[in-house]
Amino acid sequence: MRTLTLWSFGLMAALSPVAAQEQAPVTVGPNGEPATPVAELELTDAEIEQIRAGGYTAAFAWHELYDWSGAVAQGAKDEFERLGIEVVAETTAGFDSARQQANVETIMALRPSILISLPVDPSAGASTYAAASEGGAKIVFIDNAAAGFEHGKDYVTTVSADLVGIGEKTSEAMAAALGSEGKIGYIFHDADFHVTNLRDSAFKWMIENRYDGIEIVAEAGMADPACIEDIANAMLLQNPDLDGMYVPWAEPAAGVLSVLRQQGRTDLKIVTIDLNEPAGLDMVQGGSVAALIADEAYNIGVYAARAGAASLLAREVEPFLVVDALIVTADNVAQGWQQSLHRDPPESVLNAQ
Amino acid sequence: MSAPSPAAPAASPFRTMLSRINLQHYVVYVGFLAIFLFFAIVLRDSGFLSQRNLVNIALQTAPATIMAIGLVFVLSAGEIDLSFGSTVAVSALCAAMAMAAMPGAALPVGVAAGIGAGLLIGAINGALVAWLRLPSFLVTLATMGLVAGVARSLTQLRSIPVTDPLFTGIFGSGSLFGITSLVIWTVVGVAVGHVVYRQTRFGAHVLATGDNARAAQVTGIKVSRIRLSVFMISGGLAGLAGLLYAGRLQAAKYTLGETDLMTVIAAVIVGGTLLNGGKGSVVGALVGSLLMGMLNNGLILMGLSVSDQMIVRGLIILIAVAVSLREKNR
Repeated sequence: MRTLTLWSFGLMAALSPVAAQEQAPVTVGPNGEPATPVAELELTDAEIEQIRAGGYTAAFAWHELYDWSGAVAQGAKDEFERLGIEVVAETTAGFDSARQQANVETIMALRPSILISLPVDPSAGASTYAAASEGGAKIVFIDNAAAGFEHGKDYVTTVSADLVGIGEKTSEAMAAALGSEGKIGYIFHDADFHVTNLRDSAFKWMIENRYDGIEIVAEAGMADPACIEDIANAMLLQNPDLDGMYVPWAEPAAGVLSVLRQQGRTDLKIVTIDLNEPAGLDMVQGGSVAALIADEAYNIGVYAARAGAASLLAREVEPFLVVDALIVTADNVAQGWQQSLHRDPPESVLNAQ
Repeated sequence: MSAPSPAAPAASPFRTMLSRINLQHYVVYVGFLAIFLFFAIVLRDSGFLSQRNLVNIALQTAPATIMAIGLVFVLSAGEIDLSFGSTVAVSALCAAMAMAAMPGAALPVGVAAGIGAGLLIGAINGALVAWLRLPSFLVTLATMGLVAGVARSLTQLRSIPVTDPLFTGIFGSGSLFGITSLVIWTVVGVAVGHVVYRQTRFGAHVLATGDNARAAQVTGIKVSRIRLSVFMISGGLAGLAGLLYAGRLQAAKYTLGETDLMTVIAAVIVGGTLLNGGKGSVVGALVGSLLMGMLNNGLILMGLSVSDQMIVRGLIILIAVAVSLREKNR
């Protein structure tokens, strides 16, 4: 376990553009591009009219559909409707890069003007999106861009969250939950995935450099969320005096909650990323979840669609657009769900308030 | 004395011919034609019938067809293999890692590593089933998880690029006399599989083993060897499918093949192979695989939501499997 932890830390240091820096980390795109706030991308009324008159179409090739990507999809669909662009196809790949490639090829039979997609495997992106590129579709990526693709030539832009901002806000939430003092366990995503790698390492950097009273006393890598209970159990066994725990996203946080309940630990505070019902319910009921940090998923979709539409008018779009992150606590849960996912929290969460 | 009963009218030649036709052999072909015609009419303006789209269906189903050939042999012998999906991933990764380690001889080492990994996994499955007489369902369920875990740990979830142009040409994007390599692999695989299955003593022994293993043993068929062989065939062909995925994607990742299990099983069953052994069809598996691919393709082109695609696909597969099995049980 210790060897794995050290290896994982080394992997993090090797992969992350953040961990080894002494200066505050900065959000950069998958190819190191500077981040541009999405609010800078607007369309004039004349441009909107031109797009509406163009008879354009769009399609989606998702990696998988769940709460977060569903919100992204809805944001894009609403924006396409506003711009008079018809959505002709939507697919999901079940995180299978081969299936995603097949889906893109099939979609291109419909010759959509715009294709929005989150690449399952960016390193296989050139093959995955070859059909779309050859077919002349304007490709907008979410979170990750296809390796080897050139901005402005092969794709329009990548839209994502301010990943360092998420890490920063997660550290703020942790500090607020612990009164800026305490020992925490840090569970990071042990895989080569730009989004989670940057969020995790940003959180760690913030804690180590901005909060002298908070110490990361335990670290563990999680490759498969199905193993989270074992990881959390081991961490708590070795560090029974933990005050807080960072979990890389909300799905495995449910597993950590389960472990805490089994052990009767009501004192330990969890902060995690993304909104989901079990974590939200625990939070509003005054449980272990102190805060959920969310990005504006709906707006990711809105601006991805807008970027694709802008490119149809030969407008140049910045290579990496980012949306804001927000801290959601029991006090602002309804507002947080609306701002992130553009819908009300689940009834169970609302009723528990 | 009673009057002689009038002679029954002679059956028409057409009726005689119809009564001799065993419908169970043709369910998959009728189903394929029906679905093809449906999409051809409904999607006539949506690119379904374009050459590009039809070729795409053939390309996309090539790895699944190769896996299906292996599964036909396993099912026909009265066994089952649930591990072929995981084997695809490990084979692709082994091939990619071997090629990265020895770029000067990328093609031969990649092929040897990929097929070798598949054969090894098949041999392990076969040995456990054939000599320890463990139920193949449980053995391959266990090896499915084990091999999936190996695939994840081989590269710590990282994807490995596959860049050797000869490899990607032969197993991915290349072509010969205008025919893409994936189509060639499909045709060769089905042809060889069909001949071995139908025309060789080995194929007959596989069917005899699946039909009645005890009787087959009594007649001198080495049932254990047959069982070992079919699992190695399944593993080896899963390895080949891994090479095709790696060549087509120009990358290998632990997720390859993960979503193919139910598709391949459905293709084989719809194609005429019995779940409990003794009867099967390699050509039927090909048509079943193409049917699955065409279904995926057509539902996407119809613009259905993802949920609706899953519901409709499940319903059609349910109907196809039910009709196919019902015909066999008559």
